[in-house]
Amino acid sequence: MDRLLRVSIRVYGSKAMLILRDTLKVMFPIMLLGSFAEVIKAAFLTPTGFMATLFNITKWLPFHRDLAWSMGVIFHCTIDMIALYGAFGAAYYTAKVYGRKSAAAGVAGLLSFLIISYQPNSSGMPDFNPRLMSEGMLLSLIVGYLCGRIMVKLVNVKKDELFQLIKPVSIIIIFSAIVNMILGLIGRFEIPTYVASFVSQHTQINALFYVLGMGVLTNLLSWMAFGGPFTNSPTFGDSVSLSNMNAALKAGSSWNVPFKFTDTTLYHSFANFGGTGVVLALIIAILIFSKKVNNRKVSKWAIFPAIFNNNYAMMLGIPILFNPILLIPFLLAPLVNMILAAILLALHWIPAAAYPVPAGTPGPLIAFIGTNGNWLALIFGAFLICLDVLIYMPFVKLADQVVEKAGDDDEEI
Amino acid sequence: MKKFNKWIWTGIGILISIMLIVMSLQWSRNNVDDLMKWHNSKMSPVIMIPGSSATVNRFDTLVKKLNKGKALKNQHSLVKVRVTNDDKLHITGQIRQGDNEPIIVVGFENNHDGYSNIKQQARRFNIAFKALANEYKFNNFKGIGHSNGGLIYTAFLEKYYSSYSSKITIKRLMTIGSPYNFNEQSVHHKTQMLSDFIDDWKNIPKNIDMYIVAGTQTYNSDGLVPLGSVVAGKYIYQGQVKHFTTVSVSGSDAQHSDLPQNSQIIDLINRYILDKTQNQQNGRKNDQSIGNIK
Repeated sequence: MDRLLRVSIRVYGSKAMLILRDTLKVMFPIMLLGSFAEVIKAAFLTPTGFMATLFNITKWLPFHRDLAWSMGVIFHCTIDMIALYGAFGAAYYTAKVYGRKSAAAGVAGLLSFLIISYQPNSSGMPDFNPRLMSEGMLLSLIVGYLCGRIMVKLVNVKKDELFQLIKPVSIIIIFSAIVNMILGLIGRFEIPTYVASFVSQHTQINALFYVLGMGVLTNLLSWMAFGGPFTNSPTFGDSVSLSNMNAALKAGSSWNVPFKFTDTTLYHSFANFGGTGVVLALIIAILIFSKKVNNRKVSKWAIFPAIFNNNYAMMLGIPILFNPILLIPFLLAPLVNMILAAILLALHWIPAAAYPVPAGTPGPLIAFIGTNGNWLALIFGAFLICLDVLIYMPFVKLADQVVEKAGDDDEEI
Repeated sequence: MKKFNKWIWTGIGILISIMLIVMSLQWSRNNVDDLMKWHNSKMSPVIMIPGSSATVNRFDTLVKKLNKGKALKNQHSLVKVRVTNDDKLHITGQIRQGDNEPIIVVGFENNHDGYSNIKQQARRFNIAFKALANEYKFNNFKGIGHSNGGLIYTAFLEKYYSSYSSKITIKRLMTIGSPYNFNEQSVHHKTQMLSDFIDDWKNIPKNIDMYIVAGTQTYNSDGLVPLGSVVAGKYIYQGQVKHFTTVSVSGSDAQHSDLPQNSQIIDLINRYILDKTQNQQNGRKNDQSIGNIK
């Protein structure tokens, strides 16, 4: 723990971390409001959403379509384009840290990322890769950082700025266009469908390890601001979920489904409370154990979206992204949950979640609804949250110390 | 005071949680009940769509002939759904208790010809289909479309069916005298509709047994629709569906609008579209009676 503390303090004080923290700080309020909009649209105003199905909101609320539309606009222009803001912020603050005029760098970062994610289409209208925009924040941060460095290197503050900018900007444009081409050649990977085919073609035990591994990978990538193989909510269109559901409907219960260990039965049912990394448990841990006013405030704001499995506010606000201390519980808590759930499933203590669940169902209720109201599954979910709070506890305390110590060091210097 | 506040918030949180748990339990029970009803449903209707200028009564003779000679308990009930221009459904007739293979006819107030009307009719058919699926909770069905009805079916399968495909299978489809290329004899002149259909052929479900029936009054036409236009359907279905059969029928009643009454076609429907079980029940009973004689 002591070593982790020392390493963390050093990382905390580094220039890269400073840039990152400032960037995330700017993005936080935007993404917080974006996450509110997403949750309201997905869970409350979409007919298949959780609150909408429970309370029939779309039946009695006047103007619900217009409301859903405007919420959708807010969501698409914030969280769905999160990488754009990352590119601008990273470039801006990189230039600022190195003491240069920063607005030009920010614009250069934005330009570079727009070029990288541009996709030519037949109608000739601007069209950007939606996957890069929503899940490519890691790439955008790197791009922004590099743009900031290039601007710092090639722009001399003492001279007249107007024509100096042409050189760095043209370098950035050319490199971005090359990256765009390379990305176009690589194409996009379709992992989620691959999960289903793997689970259905291999033995139960292999499938279990595969799902565990993919779960850890999803969490790791999510910590690095990069979309992982598992989607944020269970899907019921793939063959494995369908055959599970059909078996459950035939037998009248979901005790004996053909595929016990899938992303739905383990990951979504027990390891995604509040979004990736069981963020709901982190929120509770911070509210109980943390003394940092800022973190407590962020956590309070993040409760509402986190109930519906949206964790952007916590990822950016605490921040969890690239935070070495929180990486350990962020990976450990979901893994422990999945392993314990797998044991209980194997021992026949709880049935598998096989019935469909509305979109945006709060994490702890997914297993409950998915098993058609198995009380043990609900109690087990609550138990797992308590366990995860305990897993997060030491790290939350440690994170408090890092901020304090690092703050002291700054003052000493 | 601060402590007090904390307790209030915790209390509210617990209260909301309990409410959500109870509500979701209730919802889940209802939902699973519905799903089970649908999953274990034995109903497998035949859904028919008439052609342009025809009403929901178009298939009355056909249904009468199909039921002819069958015991009452094996007869198919007839339900007619008329979709008016305000997208409302007007349903007449009802399904007899225990009838697992009713015939449902979906017709439209706007029953005019032309591609834009067909698109609109497909959208309205989707409205009717959704209502029927909710009402009768079937998990599979068979389709018959006469003339433009077959085009409406094709548009429905390509554009709307995907949202049902995980729950409801279309087992068999028969289009009778459907002008896939309107009045064009040759596929070298593709109409907009045919090329749109061919563009989206991948959306056609793979598990259909498909029958394209053409009437031939002369060597290349049923008097209204050219043979080339009817068999152009192969460019949409063939290679995508499980089985694909083209049948051409001639002789009496082979004229375009007589096709639904054509005894050959009724025989085809009996043999290929209707489920065997309801017919076999007769057979089984015969076996039993033979057994009794012994």
